[in-house]
Amino acid sequence: MGRKSLLVVDDSATFRQLLCMSLTRLEGISSADITQACDGADALGKMRATEFDLVLTDVMMPNVNGLELVERVRSELQSRVPIVIISTKGEEAFVEQGMKNGANCYLLKPISLPRLREVVSGLLAM
Amino acid sequence: MSQRPEDILKVSSKSEDLLDMIERGRAFTLELMGENERLRYRMVQLEAERVSAEEIHRREVAKLQLEADLARQRLEFLDSRFHEIEEENKDFAQRYVEVEEQNESLANLYVASYNLHSTLDPQEVIGCIKEILLNLIGAEEFALYVMDEETGDLSLASYEGDPLSALHADRIAPGEGLEGMVAASGEAFFALDTGDSGEVCACFPLKLKEQVVGVIAIYKLLAHKPLLTELDHRLLELLAGHAATALVSSKLYAQTDRKLKTWEGVMSLLRES
Repeated sequence: MGRKSLLVVDDSATFRQLLCMSLTRLEGISSADITQACDGADALGKMRATEFDLVLTDVMMPNVNGLELVERVRSELQSRVPIVIISTKGEEAFVEQGMKNGANCYLLKPISLPRLREVVSGLLAM
Repeated sequence: MSQRPEDILKVSSKSEDLLDMIERGRAFTLELMGENERLRYRMVQLEAERVSAEEIHRREVAKLQLEADLARQRLEFLDSRFHEIEEENKDFAQRYVEVEEQNESLANLYVASYNLHSTLDPQEVIGCIKEILLNLIGAEEFALYVMDEETGDLSLASYEGDPLSALHADRIAPGEGLEGMVAASGEAFFALDTGDSGEVCACFPLKLKEQVVGVIAIYKLLAHKPLLTELDHRLLELLAGHAATALVSSKLYAQTDRKLKTWEGVMSLLRES
């Protein structure tokens, strides 16, 4: 696995930092470039400028929320980058909408490291 | 009776033939006796060989039996050792998972405390506490109370969840309700279930040394979070300490800043007059 480029999108600075720290603890991607974005609009701007190997996003965010971000990445940017939604919103409607919009996986907060490892490794190996 | 010479010759010839036959019979008998002797000797040899082979076989069987017993014992020993090592391995795997979980929690605690102490704005500290409770602990509905130093009451500083919920009152007197009791005793409370029917599932004091400066009450966890684990309890208790320090520091800083600005205003007025 080469040097990977990841984008973490969340309006909570605490969770962003926590996720970044968790990601750097995963085997194989400890040296990955991890970029942070504080909402969907910020993430879209960064994705226009840089190509990422994986995007991890929250749902409830100001400006552009996570579900809209996924939808716009697929339609506007025409990107097939793997996207993982990580949210406290576990309701069926949110999960269905996220997957329908084109997310590859929907995880629930608080997230465990083994589950994160499993999903991230799987998607990066694709 | 006289015999004729021809007859005598005939008899003599027969006699010689008989003698010859007897001689050949004797030679044959000797040959048979020799052969018999040889065969008897061979038989004795074979008998000896048979006895020797049986002995060797018997000894070999005994040796193999011994080796088999030793191998069986060795196998039993290895089998029991294998089970022991398997158990140890399971134990190590279990401990590895626990250590991994603890590492994860420590990392969470590090990030959470870092963020709690990264600001001196009381509202930002409260926002950070809310983020931690929501994202790290998985609390859906909770309230943060701070201690009013003048009255000793708990005053609602922030909450998450249904704004119309009667769970979080604006003010709570010391000893009133679970929140007041926790504030008065300084001891955390953790319910055994998730408190789905509006019961408090966790309530813990924010303590600065032994002084209670606030209380956090968790009324409901996220639907996919079945319960607060032992690790969550420890994490919450540690976070409560950091949250208390961050709250008090930011409050003191805000007060000092306010006073400083007031004095600066006074000094400015004095200079102007």
